[in-house]
Amino acid sequence: MILNRVQACLALAASLAMPALGNAQNPIRVGLSIAQTGPLSGAGKSGLLALQIWRDDVNAKGGLLGRPVELVVYDDQSNPSTTPGIYTKLVDVDKADLLIAPYGTNLTAPVMPLVKQRDLLLMGNFSLDANAQIKHDKYFNNAPWSSAKAMAQAYLALTGQLGVKTIAILAADAEFAQTIAGGVRQGLKERGLESVYDQNYPPNTVDFSSMLRALRAKKPEAVFVASYPSDSAAIIRALNETGVGSSVKIFGGAMVGLQYTTLMESLGSMLNGVVNFHAWVPERTMDFPGVRDFLARYQAKAKDANVDALGFYIPPFDYAIGQILAQAVNATKSLDNKVLAKYLRENEMKTIAGNFRYGPTGEWASPRVIFVQFQDVLDKNTDQFRSAGKQVIVGPAAYKTAPVRPFSEIRR
Amino acid sequence: MLGAALLLGQWVTNEYFFFAGYVVLQFVVLATAWNILGGYAGYVNFGSGAFFAAGAYTSVALIKGFGAPLFVQVLCAMLVTALMGGLIGAMTLRLRGIFFSIATVAIAVILETVVMNWGLVGGARGITVLQPEAPAWFTSYNRFLFVLMVIFAIAAVTAARYIERSWIGRGLRALRDNEEAAESLGVPTMKLKVFSAAASGALMGLAGSTFPLYMSFIEPTSAFSLNYAVSALAMPIIGGTSSWLGPVIGALLLGSVQQIVTVTISSELNVLVVGGLLVFFVVAAPQGILGLLRRGERQ
Repeated sequence: MILNRVQACLALAASLAMPALGNAQNPIRVGLSIAQTGPLSGAGKSGLLALQIWRDDVNAKGGLLGRPVELVVYDDQSNPSTTPGIYTKLVDVDKADLLIAPYGTNLTAPVMPLVKQRDLLLMGNFSLDANAQIKHDKYFNNAPWSSAKAMAQAYLALTGQLGVKTIAILAADAEFAQTIAGGVRQGLKERGLESVYDQNYPPNTVDFSSMLRALRAKKPEAVFVASYPSDSAAIIRALNETGVGSSVKIFGGAMVGLQYTTLMESLGSMLNGVVNFHAWVPERTMDFPGVRDFLARYQAKAKDANVDALGFYIPPFDYAIGQILAQAVNATKSLDNKVLAKYLRENEMKTIAGNFRYGPTGEWASPRVIFVQFQDVLDKNTDQFRSAGKQVIVGPAAYKTAPVRPFSEIRR
Repeated sequence: MLGAALLLGQWVTNEYFFFAGYVVLQFVVLATAWNILGGYAGYVNFGSGAFFAAGAYTSVALIKGFGAPLFVQVLCAMLVTALMGGLIGAMTLRLRGIFFSIATVAIAVILETVVMNWGLVGGARGITVLQPEAPAWFTSYNRFLFVLMVIFAIAAVTAARYIERSWIGRGLRALRDNEEAAESLGVPTMKLKVFSAAASGALMGLAGSTFPLYMSFIEPTSAFSLNYAVSALAMPIIGGTSSWLGPVIGALLLGSVQQIVTVTISSELNVLVVGGLLVFFVVAAPQGILGLLRRGERQ
């Protein structure tokens, strides 16, 4: 009995001493909100795991400026109305030294006026054009794209290679999809393309067979789709059942979700021939130093954390956010947001997702969105995606690993 | 109270206080508004989110279309939602009980679809609304909005208290207990219902009118979120629906708990907390906290 009490007292003393020790070390606090529940949680959780791996890596090497790094993380529930309050708390109550934006454009947009008003450094997390309107000079994005228009151009270049003259556009009526579809619409004239079908659909649409039938009747040579995970899957399934006709030489574009392991596995061979944007795939031109090692460590933890098994899409770029911050802090020996932002604007960033420089609005100066084509994909097999050859890079030229093959030829 | 709020606006340096305080007060307005129809008259409105969002989107349309000042935004948001409440009231209050509730859900869905397809207010993608310069007295625009929300909350509670204690409140209570009996005794039930639906709608629109400026960004999914409807209903039930004080107690309590849970334990647990408290009060204390207090007094 007495022993139990002594043990209890010791445990209590230890638990009281722990925070005191932590304070003595005075950690650098990196604050962020990220979706751990709600529709964006799949990507949000995998991104968070990558950031946690970075934190452990950096702390194992002695932290930053001799101080340990601590992540202060809140769940925004994929709900944009929560983020301004959370970031105000991060700044005013938690006294975060550095800020990382929530995952995605819709959740980042409400935070932008706040960081501009307070003149804070904000590392973007897979947003698209989040800084286009606000033009905050201390915003820097991790994603390898600069603007929707540039992304659309890379896809339109592929249509040129296949000698396409007519195009059909099918886009979700939501931020990302509409922005990039707008980029495609703008670029049609320059490429001498004629739009024969152009349809927006509400984001909660589940049945696409009638739309695909209408589209097939127009006999387009290219089909550009901008969709979100659940609609992407529904469109691929409808494509398999209804077909789009033999005129189509290229199908795909900006279908979010086809980068997720679970969707790739469940759709399997239905994906063959589809061309889609991506951020990283295991092809030889994507062998940036450290990325394979990171992914091996990520994949080992992914199962327990119940997140995307392969982690090809977002995790390397979330780890890169940490690397970018660490590089700037170590080089400037400072946590001053002004000093760090100046460094980020002027220097090359060295990350596991590749080296790059920032342009004027805090996006990559030379965007590197890759377009991949699914080839020879089998059903129900996750492991096949671990090696090269299943998602070959068909553009841009600098990273290309195989020529684009006509959709109708692959699907025959 | 207003004086205290103004002083707070000057002295409290922590900006987060104003962010969290704004949300809690916004719920005081919403819960009070819901109680006018739901508590006094017994007509359960599941469409509070639609009224809130209608108020918010009226402001957005006025900002984007005409660059209208805040005063005009608030006034028009109230007018639009009062009209909406009155019209819906006239059309659906002949429906009793669950059918009225279902109709209010349908209205929320219809309105959300309209907004999703309306380009001027950003459609499904949402739209950024930049805050103007803070008025001279305030160090930030959010502090100004916080003080404004204090005024809104005082106005809403005063209006609810007036309705409750006047002949309107007596009439509403009569029709809640037995509509046919009230009608036969000469209570103008239809007029009372339409009036209370309009008043309730106007106050919900008031709560939403400054939301776009507070958020700086608005998109339909979060503006029409079911969370508003659930909270607007849970707060009066937890506080007590019989009096104007009930929704205030419920909103202050639940609103604060939600804010604390969101940033401490995080995750969707805050929805679970609302659900759990709601179940507890419906089962253990159907008269809400006020009912418990009164029972305590009697004993």
